[in-house]
This record gives sequence, C-alpha cells and structure tokens, in this order.
Amino acid sequence: MTDAAVDRLPPRPAPGRFTVLSGLGALVLTVLTARAVDFDPTGLVTDLTRPNSVVEGLLDPDWSQIWSRRSRRAFIETLQLAVLGTAGGSIVALPLALYATDYGAPNRVVQVVLRLINSVIRSLPDLLWALLFVSAVGIGALSGLLALFFFSIAVVSKLTADTLDGIDRGPIEAGVAAGASNTSMLRTAVLPQILPSYVSFVLYGFEINLRASAVIGLVGAGGIGERIQFFQGRGEWDKLWGLVLLFFLVVFLVERISIVLRRRLV
Amino acid sequence: MIRFRDASVVYDGGVRALSNLDLEIGDGEFVVVVGLSGAGKSTLIRAVNGLVPLTSGHLEVNGREVPGLDRTGLRELRSEVGMVFQGFNLVDRTSVLNNVLMGRLHRVPTWRTLLGRYPADDVALAAAALDRVGILDKARVRANHLSGGQRQRVGIARALAQEPSIILADEPVASLDPPTSHVVMRYLKQISNELGITTVVNLHFLDLATAYADRIIGLRAGELVFDGPGEDCDAAVFESIYGRSLTADDTMDKQAAM
Ligand SMILES: Nc1ncnc2c1ncn2[C@@H]1O[C@H](COP(=O)(O)OP(=O)(O)O)[C@@H](O)[C@H]1O
Ligand SMILES: [Mg+2]
Repeated sequence: MTDAAVDRLPPRPAPGRFTVLSGLGALVLTVLTARAVDFDPTGLVTDLTRPNSVVEGLLDPDWSQIWSRRSRRAFIETLQLAVLGTAGGSIVALPLALYATDYGAPNRVVQVVLRLINSVIRSLPDLLWALLFVSAVGIGALSGLLALFFFSIAVVSKLTADTLDGIDRGPIEAGVAAGASNTSMLRTAVLPQILPSYVSFVLYGFEINLRASAVIGLVGAGGIGERIQFFQGRGEWDKLWGLVLLFFLVVFLVERISIVLRRRLV
Repeated sequence: MIRFRDASVVYDGGVRALSNLDLEIGDGEFVVVVGLSGAGKSTLIRAVNGLVPLTSGHLEVNGREVPGLDRTGLRELRSEVGMVFQGFNLVDRTSVLNNVLMGRLHRVPTWRTLLGRYPADDVALAAAALDRVGILDKARVRANHLSGGQRQRVGIARALAQEPSIILADEPVASLDPPTSHVVMRYLKQISNELGITTVVNLHFLDLATAYADRIIGLRAGELVFDGPGEDCDAAVFESIYGRSLTADDTMDKQAAM
C-alpha cells in the first residue's frame, strides 16, 4: 500500500482572498475598538477578585423566595405577560405576514404599507418597546404586555414570512384558477402548508418572551423583572440570586418542553 | 363557447407565444392541443381563464369578452372554468376532500372557508366529484399519501367540483406512466361526454392525442398549423406541426417500450 489514496489527495486549496481580508479586517477592528474604549485586562482581574457582595450573594442564594407571596405573584405575572403577549402578537403576525407576500397581497399599496409596518416593528428590540410603552402608558404590567405583543409580532411575522417565501406555489395557482377570493385562497392553499412551522414559531416566540419579560421588568414593565430590581435597589443580593435562579429553572423547563413540542411539529 | 379572434400574446422579453390566433371551440367539444415544447400550448389554455392576458385581439368565453374583465369578472369567469395541472397542484398537508373543496371556493363565503366549515351541499358536490373519478374512499386521506394517478384524479375532481362548463387540462398526464395516463385520459373524456363539459387538453404525445381527441389543434411557434379530427392527423400533418418526422419520443407507447 505504498500508493495510498490519501497521498494523492489534491492539495488543500489556499484560503480565498475574501476570507483572508475579512479575517484581517475583523482582527484590526477588534484591536482598534479595544484601544478606543481603553480596555485593560488587568483591571478586569482586580475587579473580579475584590470582595464583592453581589458575587457572595450568588454563592449563597436565598431560596426562600419560593415561599414569598409577592415573588410568586411576580412570577405568575411574568408568565401571564408572556402567554398573552405571545398569543396576541402571533394572531396579528399571521395576516401581517400573509398579506405582505407577493401572492397574498390584495394590491401593491397594501403590500408596500404592510412591509413597511413589518420592518419598523422588526427593527425595535424588546427593551426599547418596553421603554416606549412605560413612557407612554406608565409603569406596570400593561406596558409589559404591549411590549411583548409587539415583540411577538416582530419575531413570529419575520419567521413566518421566510417560510411563506418557500412554499409550493402550485396550490395557489389552483385556488386562483378556481375563482377563490384572495383570503379563501390563503386559508386553503397556503395556511395548511405553513401551519406546523407557524405553531413552532409561536412556541419559540413564547420562549423568547419569557426571557424578555424579565428584562423589560427592569425598566418598570411589570413581572419578575420589577421584583429583581426591587432586591437590587435594597442590596439584597442573596434574595435576588435566589429569584434569578428560580426564574432560570422555569425558563429552562419551558424551553425543554417547547423544544420537544417543536420537534414533533416539523 | 370559446372564440379567439386575431388573438396574440407577447411576453415580457418579446417572446410571441400566440400569434394572430383564430379559433372557435364549441360547447361540449373535446379538443386536444399538440405541439412542441414552447409552441404556446400552455399560453393558449391560460388565456382562456385569464391567467395570461392577451396582448392584442379578442377572446370570448361563455359570452364574456375576457380582455375587458375586472377582478370580479375574472373570478366569475374562473368559477365556470375548471383547471387540471401537470404537477397536480394539490395541498399535500391536507385531506383529499379539503383539496376537492377548493373547487367550491368561488361560492362559499370567505368566513366559512376561514373556519373550514363548508355548507353541506358543497361537501355533497365534492363527494360526488370524488365518486365520479372512483376515489371517494380516499376522501379523508392526506393528499400526499396518494399515488400519482390518484393525485391527478383528485385534481380532476377539484375541477369538477366547480360544476364548470369548461375544463382546461395543461399536460395532465406528463408526469404519469402510460397505463395511468390512459386512466386519467379516459376519465377526462368520459366526464366531458357525460356532462357536456367543453374540454381542452394539452398533450405531448401524439398517439395519446389521436386516441382521445374529437378534434386536434396543432400549434407551432404560436401559430395554428392544424385543426381537424384525429384521423386526419397523419405523418404529413405531424411534420407540419413538429417540423420533423415522427420519432419514438413523440408517441407514448413507443417511448414506454424503450
Ligand atoms: N411567463 C413567461 N414569460 C416569458 N416567456 C414565457 C412565459 N411563459 C412562456 N413563455 C415563452 O412563451 C413560449 C410559449 O410557452 P408555452 O405556452 O409555455 O408553450 P408550451 O406550453 O407549448 O410548452 C415559450 O417560448 C416560452 O419560453
Ligand atoms: Mg406547457
């Protein structure tokens, strides 16, 4: 076996110019930004080794928050926000995505307007939605609900729109040729094709919203985030960490269940 | 009644797919359109239900002037014209019955289709259509569980459920094997004869065309080059349509034997 095939393998092609240039570019950019913000690794080490009540709280979290009524209510509020926000947003996201497609738009004007609305909604992150509604309707769960509602529209309509681009167009042609109204055609020829994906996007949206609901609470939009902020303000780090770890556990469980369900769908 | 007068279709890019076509198809006729790929067969068929607009000329279908129709007029026209496709165009992820019910969409209120609650008489029509093509027992099966021939019969049932006066079939057997092709052609012919439905079928194979057509229409580069009964369609006529003599590729039986 002197003439092994492996020796006769064609040589590995040299990396393309684009790969080399973009790699170099990324390196240069990283170094430049690090200098611009005065990044200093030694400072990081001293900060982390200094005695720190926040880290101590993490090492000895106070689990008693399970029994606290106010914490439990905050938990339930967070779940409610995530469920309602996701459900409402997903219901609105479906027609927004369907009527913005080239085959589903009743006319050009509607299509352009819907695409504009979609891209505006999609460009705002969850925290910004929360800030927006906290300033508009005040501190509380309603702001959180509205924020998650719009955030769900963004997530679900984007994913659904991508799926809608890749469907089989044959049934659409059949619906049009049969004299169906636009909406009837979408319902019968398109919806069955995307339904499993759509349901899985709704579940995914719920996962994201559950996590987001903790963050948006920090700016006063209700739920568990507000409670976390409360402990932060009082410096009760052990209780804060207890709460955060409980929340982590809930998110983890919900995600596991959701992933199993989604896998069965598609 | 379908009547083309001096009808032309020019696509973006300048392809002249139909050229000054004059053609009249009477009620209840069973017409087969033959021609090379690119001759304009699909364009002719799609002009009839307004899927492809004429660039110039006239086209009258069931007393309507097709080029002048607005959106509502087009939907009314299409409700009277059933269409059968080469690729079947079924929704795989739903039942055979739901696919056939698409043929009733022109009549069922939109809110009912949204809820998936079809009126009983529309369901009855869909069931009757399935029965006519011999697959009523498959009504609750998901469409993607059927064989090719069965799928095309669902396609025919969907067109039939419209209670159309015209059926257009664009190469309905091009993705089927010879025995199945004959089954599908027999159903199309039988439905046309028994219900008096004007039927226009595009076919690639000449032997299949002569076997079923009352009348054959030959297209070549968008122009009508033959119009007559199947028995008149001899080797000379064939050359005028295809621009060359008959080969094994042009007949299904010989091709199947290869
Ligand atoms: N949507 C279209 N845009 C541009 N050209 C087209 C389009 N559809 C068909 N054509 C061209 O028109 C001619 C006739 O096409 P078609 O009617 O599909 O023929 P056939 O069905 O006989 O194969 C062909 O040259 C084809 O390339
Ligand atoms: Mg064609």
